[in-house]
Amino acid sequence: MVRTRIITIGSGLGLTAVSASALAAWEVNLTPGVTDVSRSVFDLHMTIFWICVAIALVVFGVMFWSIFHHRKSRGAQAHHFHENTVVEVIWTIIPIGILVAMAVPATATLVQMYDTSEAELDVQITGYQWKWRYDYLDHDLDFFSNLSTPREQITNEADKQENYLLEVDRHLVLPVDTKIRFLLTSNDVIHSWWVPALAVKKDAIPGFINEAWTVINEPGIYRGQCAELCGKDHGFMPVVIEAVTQDEFQQWLADAREAKAAEAAAAERVWTLDELMQQGEQVYLSACSACHLPNGEGVPGAFPALKGSPIALGDVAAHIDIVLNGKSGTAMQAFRDQLSATELAAVITYERNAWGNSLGEAVSPAQIAQLLEPTTGEAEQ
Amino acid sequence: MSDKSTFWQTLLSVLSSFFGVQSERNRERDFREGRPLHYVLTGLLMAAVFVLAVILLVRWALSLAGA
Ligand code: HEC
Ligand SMILES: [Cu+2]
Repeated sequence: MVRTRIITIGSGLGLTAVSASALAAWEVNLTPGVTDVSRSVFDLHMTIFWICVAIALVVFGVMFWSIFHHRKSRGAQAHHFHENTVVEVIWTIIPIGILVAMAVPATATLVQMYDTSEAELDVQITGYQWKWRYDYLDHDLDFFSNLSTPREQITNEADKQENYLLEVDRHLVLPVDTKIRFLLTSNDVIHSWWVPALAVKKDAIPGFINEAWTVINEPGIYRGQCAELCGKDHGFMPVVIEAVTQDEFQQWLADAREAKAAEAAAAERVWTLDELMQQGEQVYLSACSACHLPNGEGVPGAFPALKGSPIALGDVAAHIDIVLNGKSGTAMQAFRDQLSATELAAVITYERNAWGNSLGEAVSPAQIAQLLEPTTGEAEQ
Repeated sequence: MSDKSTFWQTLLSVLSSFFGVQSERNRERDFREGRPLHYVLTGLLMAAVFVLAVILLVRWALSLAGA
């Protein structure tokens, strides 16, 4: 079958045949993906690719033949003429025909891609600088998904692993064989949520909600990236989908909600300074160090140093305020909805006691939990 | 300029310009006999027809898809 073999035009006129699987291993072609839509996108891509190959063969074939056949050494004489309406009409009609032939299957696929009706699961996806938040709308569950590649690999102090910059702390877990609707938006600038294996790539725009959908056919891990230049760490906000069976998904949902409840309970017990410092360092490295740097020294002119900062060393209420509520108009976001009470207390404690800041005082999770109470929050704003 | 054949000539010339190909003979005739205003008006009319045709085409495609 022609389809299973790929013909590449080598240098000059040499034709080489390479099997499609060899080409897949080389990873230059589009992925067929794991959904019906991604397969029809792949088929479209291959159909159009072969049309292009055929056009190239004909056009360059005629051109090379003409050059060779009418060469000067054979005494070829140029035939001077100005226009030929018949030829011009033909070479206009043929491309129109080809374009229409391509547009028919492409339109069918597009219409299919836009049909978000009758979804069984809604997931809201929100882009942040620089991470994704996933909200299982009907299941009272939401969380952030942060890059988990160790910093040493990024700074070339350690060897880069297989999924370098394509790994996150929390996967977007989705059931297979279920129509899932994605509602995409953004908290700050335009991002784009892209997972090639699903053939889904959709802009996440602040103030707008875009829709996309998928039905995943095979369990597995599928990786993607932000596809809209969104600032300094645009390349550091990957997407990782873990597709599981429907039973596993229900189990995962139950576990995740249990873990969330356990975390809320943890905020109520008393934490030691050491415990808070330990957790605080982890939170700091995943949520804050992109801007304020792991050593707390920041980036002069852009992100202030926290080491020796008047706020981190000053009044604790002001410090808590900027971390919980951010500072509008700057890159300093409100972390009150992004981190749990314990994580917030830990990271603030960490900032007040790391890198030579040494106030020796702990901010307790209970204290933060009180500030996070919905009623208090509204009264403050 | 008021006889019927010239209107068809103008229309055909406008359509040829949409298509992008016109014979030298017709081009010379148009420049000799035609009036610019007629081409502009016919052009606007055909542009409206084209937009309408695209709208209908999209509607038809969507109705085929059952949307
Ligand atoms: C996207 C970049 C970014 C991230 C991530 C970030 N910050 Fe900030 N942060 C800023 C900027 C910018 C300012 C300065 C705001 C201003 O103009 O006052 C700031 C200011 C601060 C200040 C006040 C410092 C001072 O001396 O003015 C504190 C405290 C702070 N951030 C804590 C945090 C904590 C804690 C986290 C993680 C939970 C964090 N930041 C994550 C960008 C960031
Ligand atoms: Cu982004």
